[in-house]
Amino acid sequence: MTATLLVNSKLVCVALNDKAQLKALDATFNQAPYNKPPTQPVLYYKPRNTWSVDTAEVEWAKDFDGKDVPTMVVGASLGVVIGKETCRVKPEEALSFVGGYTVVADYSLPEENYYRPDIKGKCLDTSAPVGPSLVAADKIAQPDALSVTIKVNGELKSTFDLSQMQRSVAELISIISNIMTLQAGEVIAVGFAGERVALAKGDKVEAAIAGIGTLNNTLGGI
Amino acid sequence: MRYARILVEGRELDITIDAQDKITTQEGQSIDLPLDSDQITWLPPVKEPGTIFALGLNYADHATELNFAPPKEPLVFIKHANTLTGHKQTSYRPDNIEYQHYECELVAVIGKQGKNIKREDALDYVAGYTVCNDFAIRDYLENYYRPNLRVKSRDSLLPMGPWIVDVADVPNANNLRLTTTVNGKITQDGSTKDMIFDVPFLIEYLSKIMTLNPGDMIATGTPHGVADMQPGDTVVCSIESICDLETRIVSEQEYYGKNY
Repeated sequence: MTATLLVNSKLVCVALNDKAQLKALDATFNQAPYNKPPTQPVLYYKPRNTWSVDTAEVEWAKDFDGKDVPTMVVGASLGVVIGKETCRVKPEEALSFVGGYTVVADYSLPEENYYRPDIKGKCLDTSAPVGPSLVAADKIAQPDALSVTIKVNGELKSTFDLSQMQRSVAELISIISNIMTLQAGEVIAVGFAGERVALAKGDKVEAAIAGIGTLNNTLGGI
Repeated sequence: MRYARILVEGRELDITIDAQDKITTQEGQSIDLPLDSDQITWLPPVKEPGTIFALGLNYADHATELNFAPPKEPLVFIKHANTLTGHKQTSYRPDNIEYQHYECELVAVIGKQGKNIKREDALDYVAGYTVCNDFAIRDYLENYYRPNLRVKSRDSLLPMGPWIVDVADVPNANNLRLTTTVNGKITQDGSTKDMIFDVPFLIEYLSKIMTLNPGDMIATGTPHGVADMQPGDTVVCSIESICDLETRIVSEQEYYGKNY
């Protein structure tokens, strides 16, 4: 790893925070094994073996027989970088605990279900580039007004306006900080477009947020 | 040999404990205190905690107790250092819940980096074993990435320690009596022989997915016999030949103090 990792000790991701995705899955989520739609943010971790940086290659995953997996996907999110210890804060004060913003890309196997923690899909080495840099929180007045795009080999594949998130940045910081005390340098990826983007080996991926930056990564496996 | 981290008179010490219970610091200074001394504050035993993998439903009798069929593949979830606390420290019971239970578990601490580790080589990657209490708040379970972070990622709800026992000193981790007492009464009495997926299996499994690193931990699940906990209760999780881990339950208000 040549560049400094932006993440310190924890990268929490919020799944199912796209209103349109929740609506589309409503019938599914009213059946077994879910039985009812989520009442709380759906959270998962990208652990430290996944953390990576701008310009790094993302490893193409292998299955349990050691063969290359057929498909990988990517989602991109605004990364909220905590600025100071954040314990049980209220939504109205939450943004004052943010140190800055960045871009998080989550490379994974396709999201097939949400019932059990997706260790096989989400915990792949180098699958969470974060960067390219940290934009100070005072430069971004309204994080929920940002828009996240993904281009693959130069072609626009996904656009997600954060105004379409089920829960706002401030609400998420508040809820998560009531579960766990967050420390400076920990990162929350607040929401991904429900439709993840399918990838092939060697693809060049740009995950971008205007005003924050562009994260460039290339898939390995060739 | 056993390894631990303690605070004595404000000094944070990395220590070894020999077979005669004699404490020696990393710098070679001997600390003349008995292990049950009130002057020792026990810290979580892994100095630089990495990823904590925890197993759900890894004992057939506990899976049945929760009305689940035993899994065919490990049910693994991840925790981080915010959940850790040491021996003889406090864990909190959230306000307005019905059911919080302990889970006494054997923990394998990873000592060496590895990927695609074979089962037969797995113990070469283990630094040692310790005990944890992987508390769960059942009220907060939802069927999304279950057990979800709200249940399993709360501050203080993973006491661990007091020490790590060298892997060489535990010839058979697959046959250790595991007991829990609440206020002195035995409430859980099982054996690691009833584990569905043992430590070598789990190391092979996880390292097929990702690189394991020193300081990562694998908490291997709990057998039958969980019970609700209330503020004021003292719970002791014990595993034969490893250690006894004591925790006192306090209210959410007492735990968070000015942040409450």
